[in-house]
Amino acid sequence: MKTVSITVNGWKHNVEAPGDTPLLWIIRDHLGLTGTKYGCGVGICGACTIHEKGEAVRSCQISALEADGSEFTTIEGLSKNGDHPCQKAWIEEDVSQCGFCQPGMIMTAAALLETNKKPDDNAIDDAMSASVCRCGTYFRMRKAIKRASEVMSK
Amino acid sequence: MTTDPKPNRREFIRNISSAGAGLILAINLPRSGRAFSAAPAKEFAPSAYLSISPDNKITIWVTRSEMGQGVRTALPMMIADELEADWKTIVLKQASSGGKFAGIRLRTSGSGSIYGTWTPLRTAGAAARTMLKRAAASRWRVPEERLRAENGRIVDKETGMRLTYGELCEEAAGLPVPENPKLKSPSEFRYIGKRVLRVDSPDIVTGRAIFGQDLSVPGMKHAVIEHAPRFGGKPLKWNEEQVLAIPGVRTVVPVTLGIKQGIAVVADTLWTAMKARDELKVSWEYGTDAEFSTDAYRTSLQEALKGTGYRTREEGDPDTALRNSRKTLSAVYEYPFQSHSPLETMNCIARFDKDLCEVWSGTQTPDVASILISRQFGFPEDKITVHTPLIGGGFGRRLFADQILETVEIANSAGVPVKVFWTRADDTRDGFFQPFSICEMKASVEDGSVKAVTHRTASSDHSMSGPPLKDLKRYIDLLAPWGAYDSPYLIPAYRAEYFHIDAPVPTGPWRAVWYPQNVFARECFLDEIAAELGKDPLEFRMELLDGPDLDLNGTIIRRKALRNVLKLAAAKAGWGSPTGARRGRGIACNIYRGASLMAQIAEVSVNGKNEIKVDRIVCAVECGQVVNPLGLEGQIESGIVWGLSAALKGEITFKNGAAEQSSYGDFDVLRMNEMPVVEVFTVPSTERPQGIGEPPVVPVAPAVSNAVFAATGKRLRKLPLRL
Repeated sequence: MKTVSITVNGWKHNVEAPGDTPLLWIIRDHLGLTGTKYGCGVGICGACTIHEKGEAVRSCQISALEADGSEFTTIEGLSKNGDHPCQKAWIEEDVSQCGFCQPGMIMTAAALLETNKKPDDNAIDDAMSASVCRCGTYFRMRKAIKRASEVMSK
Repeated sequence: MTTDPKPNRREFIRNISSAGAGLILAINLPRSGRAFSAAPAKEFAPSAYLSISPDNKITIWVTRSEMGQGVRTALPMMIADELEADWKTIVLKQASSGGKFAGIRLRTSGSGSIYGTWTPLRTAGAAARTMLKRAAASRWRVPEERLRAENGRIVDKETGMRLTYGELCEEAAGLPVPENPKLKSPSEFRYIGKRVLRVDSPDIVTGRAIFGQDLSVPGMKHAVIEHAPRFGGKPLKWNEEQVLAIPGVRTVVPVTLGIKQGIAVVADTLWTAMKARDELKVSWEYGTDAEFSTDAYRTSLQEALKGTGYRTREEGDPDTALRNSRKTLSAVYEYPFQSHSPLETMNCIARFDKDLCEVWSGTQTPDVASILISRQFGFPEDKITVHTPLIGGGFGRRLFADQILETVEIANSAGVPVKVFWTRADDTRDGFFQPFSICEMKASVEDGSVKAVTHRTASSDHSMSGPPLKDLKRYIDLLAPWGAYDSPYLIPAYRAEYFHIDAPVPTGPWRAVWYPQNVFARECFLDEIAAELGKDPLEFRMELLDGPDLDLNGTIIRRKALRNVLKLAAAKAGWGSPTGARRGRGIACNIYRGASLMAQIAEVSVNGKNEIKVDRIVCAVECGQVVNPLGLEGQIESGIVWGLSAALKGEITFKNGAAEQSSYGDFDVLRMNEMPVVEVFTVPSTERPQGIGEPPVVPVAPAVSNAVFAATGKRLRKLPLRL
C-alpha cells in the first residue's frame, strides 16, 4: 500500500492504494467519480480519457505512483455547470447513443480545441480516431466538434 | 482512503436527482441508497406506465432497456403525446422486473421496442387523458365534449376554466379505466414525428449518467472470473490457498452458471481481484471442443454443402433449370464470427437480503433474468428484482443472462453482495458470437434473364432459439434463413436451403441477427448476375421486383414499396452519374422480416495501396410512422457503422478452442477517420412504426462490396473485405 497525493477537479486527495493501481480505478473506486469509464484497460479505446495540464491522457495507463503529486481534470470537472462548449454542442447535435464512450470523447475533443481552436477534418480525425464508439456516433461527433469550435473561436 | 469525501458524496446525490434539459431524469438506485420520496397517497395511476401526483408531477416508467437506441426518449414521447402532457414536467423511471411490471414485457430485442409499445403506451396515455377529462366534466358539470386536454391541463373551451392534471388527480383515480380510449389521429400528434433531443444527454455529457459499471451497494465485494480458456473446460484444481493469501482477497469459488465454467476471485477492490486472478493457476479438463478451430469448421461446412440441406423455400424447379442451363454462375460467400464488443464490458451486482434477491445489471432482459434466477435458485419470482441501469451498448449481447446468473451464484456462495466485472479480454473472448457462415450461390442465366437461383447457407444457429430442426415452421419464422427464405426477388425457380452444423462456439443474436450473412451473399450475387447480363444493378433489381406482393407464412414482402425505396435512394445518391477513376457505387436492399424496407447506396474509393475507403452512404427507408426522426437517423448512422465495422475491420477466429482476439487492438471497429458521410431519406408514412435498430446493418456490406466491384472490377466475397 502506498499513499499517493493527487488533485482531481481542484480537490486534493490522499489515497491509500497499491502503487500499481491504474489512476482510472483510483478515480472511479476511491474517489467515486464514475464519469471516467473502463473500456479496454490497455489504452486503445479512449473511454478513460482525462486531462493532465489540459492535455488528454488515458487514465488506465497511468499508475497511482506515476500520478502522485499531479493534477487532473475528469469529465465531472470539465465545466462548473455542464456548459463547456463541447458538452453543449454534444447535446445540441444529439451525439450520444448509449453514451458510455462520450465522457472520454468529450475530454479528447476539449483537449483538441484547447490547442487548435479551428481544427479541420484531418485534425479532428487525428485527435479522435484512437477512440472507440461502438454505437458509431462519429458523424454527429464531428458536427459537434465543429459547433463547439465555432463557439470557442469567437 | 480519501481525505475529503465531499465531491464524492455530492456527485452521488447529483446522480440521483439531476435535472435534464427537458425531462427530469431518475434511475433506480440500490434500495439502501437514497430512496425516492414515497409516492403521495392520492396519486392517479391508471396503468403501470404512468402516474400523476397532486403536485402535478407526471411520472412515466420506461419498459425497455436503454442501450443507446433512444427508448428513454421515444417511449415517453408516445405516452406524453396521447396524454397531452407537458414534456418538461415529466419524470422518467426505469421499470425493474417484477412488482407492477410482472407480466409486462421488458425484454428489449428484435428492433421491437417502438413497434411493441406503440399501441399499449398510446392507449395508456389516451386512457389517462380521457379519465382526466371525465373528472373535469364531472366537477364542472359540463359535457365532456366541450373540454380539451392541453399541455397538462383540462380546459373548458367555452368558459376558459382550466385545471391541471394534478388538481384532477384524486377524482380521476376514482373513475374506471376505459379499455379502448380514442387515440389521436396522426394530424393531432404533438411530439410523435418531432425531432426530440435525447433525454439522457445532459447526464451523459457531464459524467453523471449511471451505467452498471458505475453502481455499487454497501458491503459489496468485487469479483473477476477466470473462465475456461478453451471450450468445454472444467476446473480440476486450482491454487486456492495461494490466492487467498493475497491481502484483500476474500474468497475463491468455482462458477458453473456463466457462459463457461470458471473460478471467481472475490476481493475488497476490483484492482485487487484483477491482480489476484493473475496469480490464479487452474488445471482444466478438456474434451474435443477444446480443439475447435475456424479453419476446421470451414471445412466441415464445405463438406456439408455437398449434401442436401433443409429446404426453407422452394419455387419452380431450380435443379432442372441449373442442369439444363447453357450458362450457370456460382459463387461462395463467407461471413466470419463476429463479436458484439460493447464498450461497457459485462458486469452485474447481486445481493441477497433475507429472502430477497436483488440484481443490478445492464441487461436487455430483466424479466427473463428474473425467471432464470427463480428456476436456478428456487426463489419465488416475486422475491427477485432485476434493475436495469443505462447500458453501455447491448447489440444482442445482453439478451443473455450469463453474467447475471454467475453473479448471483457467486453472491450466494460468498454470502456477501458481489459485483462481477469482465475485462475487455474476458468480453472479447467469451461472447455469444455472430455465427460463421458460408453461402453457396448458383444461378442459371439464359436469354438475357435469370432463370433460377439457389441460396444454400451452412452455419450454426443462434443458440438462443434452441435446436432448429425440430419444428420447421418455428425455424422458418424465427431463425436461420432470414434473407434467403424471404428474398424479395421474382425468380422463376428459387430455393433457399440451410445446413445446420454444430459448433461449440456460443452464438446468439448480433445486431440484425441472421440477415447480414445471407443478404451479403444474396445482394452481391445479384450484382454478379446483373454484370453477367450486362444490366445496371439498380435496373436489374427493379425488374426482379416488378410483381405482386408476396405472402410468406404471414410475412408480407412488399415488392412495389421496395421499388419506391430503391428509387428514392438512387435519386438522392445520383445513381448513374460518373464517379471517376477507382471510385464506384454499389447498391443493396432488404426487407427486414416483412417490415422495414431499406436500400443503401455506398460510394467507395480505392487508393494506390488498394485500401478501401467508404466515402458516402445514402440510405432510404420506409418503416411506418417515425416517432423521433432524430433518433431514427441516429440509429441508421449507428447501424451503418456497425455494418462497416464488420465489412471492413474485425473478425473473430478460433484456434484450439479459443478466440484468437482479445481487444479492439485485434478485433478492431470503425473509427472516426473511417466514418463516411451518411444521408438518410424516409418515405413518409402514418402506418404503425417498424423497427430501425437492426435493419440498417444489413445492406452495408453488400453495398460496399458491390461498390468495390464498380471501382475495381474485383469481386470480394468474404468479410472483412480486402483487395
